[in-house]
Amino acid sequence: MRRKLVPAIVVAVAAAAVAVLVYGLTQQGASRALDEALAAGRHPAAPQAQRLLPVLDRVGSTTASLTRWRGKVVVLNFWASWCSTCTAEAALIERAQRQLAASGDGTVLGIDYKDLSGGAQQFIGTYELSYPNLRDIDGSFAEAYGTDALPETFVLNRNLQVVAISRGEITTQSWLTHWIDEAART
Amino acid sequence: MRRAALAAVLLLSLAVAAPASAVTARTSLVAIEQQVMCVTCGIPLQEADSPAAQQEKAYIQQLIDAGDTAATIKARLVVEYGDAVLALPPDRGFNVAFYLIPIAAVLAAIGIVALLLPRWRRNRRAGAGAAGQPDALSAADNARLDADLARFEP
Repeated sequence: MRRKLVPAIVVAVAAAAVAVLVYGLTQQGASRALDEALAAGRHPAAPQAQRLLPVLDRVGSTTASLTRWRGKVVVLNFWASWCSTCTAEAALIERAQRQLAASGDGTVLGIDYKDLSGGAQQFIGTYELSYPNLRDIDGSFAEAYGTDALPETFVLNRNLQVVAISRGEITTQSWLTHWIDEAART
Repeated sequence: MRRAALAAVLLLSLAVAAPASAVTARTSLVAIEQQVMCVTCGIPLQEADSPAAQQEKAYIQQLIDAGDTAATIKARLVVEYGDAVLALPPDRGFNVAFYLIPIAAVLAAIGIVALLLPRWRRNRRAGAGAAGQPDALSAADNARLDADLARFEP
């Protein structure tokens, strides 16, 4: 009995190690659950809507969650000051913010991803961004959206459900206008 | 007079020691790069060259130029990027497992060897002893062997 116990423990430990390795390998790569739900015609709830993130401002002592904007259309834009394509789309995103603010339908909400707060503030100043921004310091908020490359944009309706996803730079204003209108209707 | 001389020597030694400690506390970009990660690429900063890594390096250099120590620089990097920026996670909370599991694994390995080694040695000794002794013959075989040997004797 005792002679079989030690090999059994060794086999169990080895099996557990292999299971952990397999789990780690299968968890690699960004999740596309939101994209698949949209493709299936559903409007999935925005992940981690309740999660408090630091507000990107000079003080940096306040926090906010997505739920603060419930009842409004939200254009959730993941960006960073080190991201060159983010600079290219910044003007389009700011134009969308001005339209949303003028109509009162909603707001752009920037999510500054794994970025220096100083660099991010400079970016906001350079591109004269007027919308609020939250900091995703460790990238775990972005991970919930399957975001591991920048920029990415999610259009949310008034119930904070995902209506459209742009994985990559937005190059035309019409994409934003179309999905903001769509989000305002749903 | 003696007191004044002693005070002068003490002041002089303090004046010499202060800049010396300031020099030893000063760090370099290379030294910090070895201790932190590129937060977007998940590799040590010294091996990374992405735009985010370049920004991180520039920030570290800026802090070095401002005279910050290695500990202060790492603390400020944690504020900006979170604990994931450190090559070795801080020894608190769940991260303690990172330090304890290897120690536990080594202790478990030593325990298993300590448990099995006497048994292996015992088995080896028993095996060697059995190999060294001829098999005992039955009375009938002994009688037959004696008879065979007797036939060959002159």
